[in-house]
Amino acid sequence: MYYQLINFGNEEFYAYPNKSLFWKRLNTLIVSDLHIGKSISYARNKQFLPPYDTKEILDKLFACLDKIKPSNLIIVGDLLHDVFSTLSLNDQDLKNLSQYMNNTDFIWINGNHDKKIKIEGFKNFTNYKIDKFLFTHIPIETSSFQICGHYHPKIKISHRGKTIFKTSFVHNEKIFILPSFGILTGGLDINSKQISDVLGKKNLSIYPVGQDKVYKL
Amino acid sequence: MNINKSNPLLLHPLNKWMKKKKWSWFPHQIETFRHVRTGSDVVVFAPTGAGKTLTGFINPIDDLIKLKKFKGLHTLYISPLKSLANDIVRNLEKPIKELDLNISFQVRTGDTTPYKKQKQKQKPPNILITTPESLALLNSYENAKEFFHNLKYIIIDEIHTFLDNKRADLLSLNIERLQTFSPNLQRIGLSATLKNKQDAKKWLCRKKPKIVSYENSVLPKIKILVSKERIPWSGHMATYSINEIYKEIMKSKLTIIFVNTRAQAEYMFKNLWLINKKKLKIAVHHGSLEKNLRLKVENNLSKGLVDCVVATSSLELGLDYGDVEKIIQVGAPKGINRLLQRVGRSNHNLNTPSKAILVPTNRFEFIEAKAAIEEIKKNNLDKIDLKEGSFDVVAQHIFATACAGQFDINDLYKEIIKAYPYKKLKLNDFKQLINLIQDGGYVLNNYDQFKRIFQLRENKNIYKLVNRRETRKYRMNVGTIIENPMLKIKLGTKTLGNIEEVFIQNLSQGDSFIFAGQVLEFQSMKNNLVQVKRSKSLISKIPSYSGGRMPLSTNLANSVRALLAKSNMWDSYPEQITEWLKRQKNISKIPKKDEYLVEQFPRKKIFYTVIYSFAGWHANQTLGFLLLRGFKEFNYKPLGFVANDYAIVLWSLKEVKEIKTILNLGLLDKHLDNYLEETSIVKRLFRDNAIISCLIERRLPGMEKTGKQVLFSSDLIYTVLKKNEPDHILLKSSYEDAKKNMIDYDRLKEILKKIDKKIILKKLTNISPLAVPIILEINRENLSKKETDEYILEDLENEILKEANVLSIN
Repeated sequence: MYYQLINFGNEEFYAYPNKSLFWKRLNTLIVSDLHIGKSISYARNKQFLPPYDTKEILDKLFACLDKIKPSNLIIVGDLLHDVFSTLSLNDQDLKNLSQYMNNTDFIWINGNHDKKIKIEGFKNFTNYKIDKFLFTHIPIETSSFQICGHYHPKIKISHRGKTIFKTSFVHNEKIFILPSFGILTGGLDINSKQISDVLGKKNLSIYPVGQDKVYKL
Repeated sequence: MNINKSNPLLLHPLNKWMKKKKWSWFPHQIETFRHVRTGSDVVVFAPTGAGKTLTGFINPIDDLIKLKKFKGLHTLYISPLKSLANDIVRNLEKPIKELDLNISFQVRTGDTTPYKKQKQKQKPPNILITTPESLALLNSYENAKEFFHNLKYIIIDEIHTFLDNKRADLLSLNIERLQTFSPNLQRIGLSATLKNKQDAKKWLCRKKPKIVSYENSVLPKIKILVSKERIPWSGHMATYSINEIYKEIMKSKLTIIFVNTRAQAEYMFKNLWLINKKKLKIAVHHGSLEKNLRLKVENNLSKGLVDCVVATSSLELGLDYGDVEKIIQVGAPKGINRLLQRVGRSNHNLNTPSKAILVPTNRFEFIEAKAAIEEIKKNNLDKIDLKEGSFDVVAQHIFATACAGQFDINDLYKEIIKAYPYKKLKLNDFKQLINLIQDGGYVLNNYDQFKRIFQLRENKNIYKLVNRRETRKYRMNVGTIIENPMLKIKLGTKTLGNIEEVFIQNLSQGDSFIFAGQVLEFQSMKNNLVQVKRSKSLISKIPSYSGGRMPLSTNLANSVRALLAKSNMWDSYPEQITEWLKRQKNISKIPKKDEYLVEQFPRKKIFYTVIYSFAGWHANQTLGFLLLRGFKEFNYKPLGFVANDYAIVLWSLKEVKEIKTILNLGLLDKHLDNYLEETSIVKRLFRDNAIISCLIERRLPGMEKTGKQVLFSSDLIYTVLKKNEPDHILLKSSYEDAKKNMIDYDRLKEILKKIDKKIILKKLTNISPLAVPIILEINRENLSKKETDEYILEDLENEILKEANVLSIN
């Protein structure tokens, strides 16, 4: 599978076009902001989005697990969109999930969307530390390197009079933010105040995600 | 006169007023009165100035006076524009007040205050003047039936503007609803002159259908601007003639300059202002300007306080600006009806001709202008194609119906298929649309507990709204006009209007652009408000607005082709045009009116193929793409194409040898689906469909995007849906829309059916004179904005002109 090599905190990570990140040395796959069941949550407000997001996200995740066969899967928050999202997981989905857990250790870090939710067989964490890396949904005050989600970063690219937005991996020296692995999830401009407040504006490494390739700016 | 003796209108309550004004009744007014009185639905065709508005009201007023103190709503008047509705009220006020008639009348549009609307609902006036959208809203209220049950007449003004768009669908559904409420309702349509009058009749009339027609015998006086400057080879801005246009403005008391796009309006205004030595009062008017600014211009125009207004189609309709002396149309007329409508804005007096000057902005447009003038002399109008009803509008209507109360789907279906655009609506599609409103209508049916409407347990045919709160959502989404995402522009605290988000995204802080006739500097964007300040910068961008690009009408295209072939006319053209055509004749060929000229020539190791299809921009755009695929298949290594209203040029690395094999009907079958897939056309139309059908909520300019993200990107929905449920009714609906509008499917098909036998292939060694304009367009489109330096352009132009051996006729 094609990947873009990213060096962060003196470690090598592989960024895949499916918006997952792989830490080869520890055979650990990292994903963020799946927002499973977002469509159900919207349907409660009578906004009827196509109810295929859960299936698509899981298919994508399972395909990735089949290919990479990681020993750990870290979800850096917002696995589920809200309390009602579990409604969109059918019995087969749950069965599949637990089967994958036989080979891979699932580490579910809670995000702002799913902090109060429990699923049988899933281990919840507020954050999780491996070596000098802290995995947390939203960055906190710490001297560690942090790998986070939450912001769904996208970058505005203007070229030849055209402007496009691309979902991106982005990091500065200490903080790494993953793009959303979800389907019906929007994005936030890397230059927006919310992201600048966390990453600053200078010395950012930005990796826009293309169709089959992750680029480097 | 004989006609007066038998004129029943002499006994009409308004006759006294007519006499006082020393006006006499028009024959079409008498005829309409007779038909309506005997129970007919009528469409009246008459030019502006022929008392059209009054014609509509003759029967209602007569009836109201006879009925004496009629309580409740008697007549509904539908106007296409809010501003026009206000104008109608003013016109109606005069006779009713002066004669002291006991008839109440009011206006109801989006601008009416909630208080007034509430009062209207409790105590309706006899005559209500409103818009299609406001009518749809009225029909969605729980008391709609009660409100309308005594309605006697519905008058549709400017019905020709309703026939070929989704607004027509919405209106047709709501008229049928009124007919259900009040079975005796009679319909009166008022229209500008049309070619296919029968179609308008079919669309509107049900009871003893009748057409009443009044043709104006006074033809407008239309000229082409005689310019001492050279007419540009390509481009659309008419910079060359700005001084001559200015002189024309000075000659007349009041002039309206019509242009084809908002960008052209801003540009023209700016250029006029730069040379405005006499300090003429010039204003600009287009649909994106803030309402107050527009109203101010309209007011000044009707009071004669300005010398000139530069306008887009925003000033095309209705309003009587009595003092307008002259119309200047800058750019291609595009269609006969449209040109006539615009020209008719001057001199609203039936017996004096309207005056207009056409300013072609390039050489093909000169031929087009000439052709348009010829067709107007022959009174050869464009046909307006009735459209088949769109699905998304039905969905919206179902939602509206549910808001008004529980309903039986069989009754609703029967009512809908009475509307002309929906005669062929299949029951199965209708049921899918019910499901769409119910819960999105997905095959994977897992929104069972979240439905918007539900079936009653005791009668599965009856549906009911789950929660009254949903009515608010319907009311936010009502209507069929969807603009691109817009942002509000603020100068200090003053709102100037709306601008497309895409344009602002391309700006950096400090960039300047022209809007509302001012040069503005982009400062910041917060909460979807664009903050600007005045700027003195000389370099400024002009906002472009996507969409709204009108293709050349088939009718006018045919006459352009015919005119081009008439070489005996050439000597009457300006020398540069004559010379251009003569050289074309010598070097290549001037196609006959039913021939399709195809030219091929190499240039700098690239092979060019130019097809003069005259199919209009939309169809040519599609054809260009299909040919690109065809060329790929034959391994000609095509690099790109550019299309305009008249022609398409493709360029490739290898010589195209089999053009006759490729250019035929097979192209459509083979590549159309790919075309729809690969371009964003369907995706863009899906957005409209999703909003109109109330699947996602409409985003209004200035509305918060952040915070609670209830506003959803339709692109994401489109992608997911296409992958998982390609047969979903909204996708089907978007494809239909694409075929109908964006790609001009039927028109393209007609051309491709006959093209292979009519191709005239010319292999040339150089660019032909006729090809110069479109070849120049390639370079324009492919230059990035920064490079669009005049020097480069001029250099390029000279190079190309030299190659085409036409430099001397510059």
